[in-house]
Amino acid sequence: MTSASWSMMLVVTVNAILFHAMPRFSRPDILFAVTVPDAFVAGAGRALVSRYRAIVWSGAAAALAIGLLLPAFLPGSAGGGLLVMGPVAGNMLVALAAWLWAHRKARAHAVPPSDVRVASLVPRDTSLPGGTLFAAGPFAILLATALLVYTYRNGLPDGPGTTKPYGLLALGGVYVAMMLTMAVSMARRTRQIAVDGPAAAAEQRFRRVNALVPVLIGYAAAISMSAMTVESIPAFGGTLSGRVGFVLLPLMLFNFGVTFWMFRVGQGGQRTIAPAARQEVHGDATPDYAWKVGGLLYFNPRDPAMWVENRVGFGYTLNMGNVRAWLLIAGMMLAPMIASRLLF
Amino acid sequence: MAGALRVSLNLESPVPAYRQIANDLRQHLVEERLKPGDLLPPIRQLAVDLGVHFNTVALAYRLLADEGWLELKRRRGAAVIARNAPRAVDRRQVDHLLRQLGQIAAELRSVGMSSRQISLALRRLAQGARP
Repeated sequence: MTSASWSMMLVVTVNAILFHAMPRFSRPDILFAVTVPDAFVAGAGRALVSRYRAIVWSGAAAALAIGLLLPAFLPGSAGGGLLVMGPVAGNMLVALAAWLWAHRKARAHAVPPSDVRVASLVPRDTSLPGGTLFAAGPFAILLATALLVYTYRNGLPDGPGTTKPYGLLALGGVYVAMMLTMAVSMARRTRQIAVDGPAAAAEQRFRRVNALVPVLIGYAAAISMSAMTVESIPAFGGTLSGRVGFVLLPLMLFNFGVTFWMFRVGQGGQRTIAPAARQEVHGDATPDYAWKVGGLLYFNPRDPAMWVENRVGFGYTLNMGNVRAWLLIAGMMLAPMIASRLLF
Repeated sequence: MAGALRVSLNLESPVPAYRQIANDLRQHLVEERLKPGDLLPPIRQLAVDLGVHFNTVALAYRLLADEGWLELKRRRGAAVIARNAPRAVDRRQVDHLLRQLGQIAAELRSVGMSSRQISLALRRLAQGARP
């Protein structure tokens, strides 16, 4: 078997595992991106999940069989890439179709949105996890590197083809600023659904972990850009090679840990809460009709929330009907492009 | 501040949303569950939690600030302040509210409550009991 075959097997398997786990990520009363009654989740919903998973794994098995057997029938290198990419894309399409099929089935059991809305009058903590100083850490790293560059400015290589010394750092700064904007807006512009008690506490924990992720991605970006800049200084050339990984590894492990934690606790941290403690909470306080493409996109101009809990996968997603969300997207797309244009 | 402080909103109610929010808040203030010095959530945060426009919450806060219950703080929501009681009785407002109460009493009688039951219920409400 070639390395391409192994890669294909890995991608198909990971994809199938992710789609298998997808229904488990959502809140206990949301199934296939639809708000459903608890009785449905415990009864017919369970059978629907089983059928959905059967389709996902059948698709994965078919993709693996095609991907592994077809090269034997079609020898030669022509179309080799297609033989690897074909099964991966096919598997993805089957899994998506299975999700959309299950979503349509679940919609027949949807609970109408409640006319009563309740909110807590106790102000909640909207600060960044770890505080402002911790959030400013990536900027401090970039600034320290800039000082180092300034100290060794005389020995820096110059001319065409060389990296501009402050370019990478400035680009890192733009990226970190974007990540912090995301973290701040996530901490402040997400809805608190449970009003009080353990359900509200779990939700707040979930929100803060989600806000911590972009802060740590900012650290990873600052460390990477600083390391690349330091490498370009002749006095330090080669001293860092391989060592940066030791710093980035814990950050990557944290992200894997967060994914596993979210799988365990579900959206809003509600799967760890006893059903009696979340009796007042049903769904995620977003109307089903505002979720498009099987629950992938949320579009509700009447909802002032900028971020809402994802219904497919985990974490938060932007409300595409909110002007601020579009400004954030535009900023995140344009800022690195403008910075690159100006700096390189 | 007590833990179970909440504000609710019924989208089907004929009462405007900002009035419903202000009414709930006023009840907490009158019954001293919200005390001077307590902070209320920022306007945007409460609007996001309730799923209403920011102006709706701002209007409710402004109404209570005009009544002397709240001090509005830029970007930080509102703080409960000590109300200078007793304020001069606004005869017109009292008459208006009593007229409304009379209409509600008539509605209650029409659904089968006796005068005695209504007066008992009113006394309980006046003493701070929840309906």
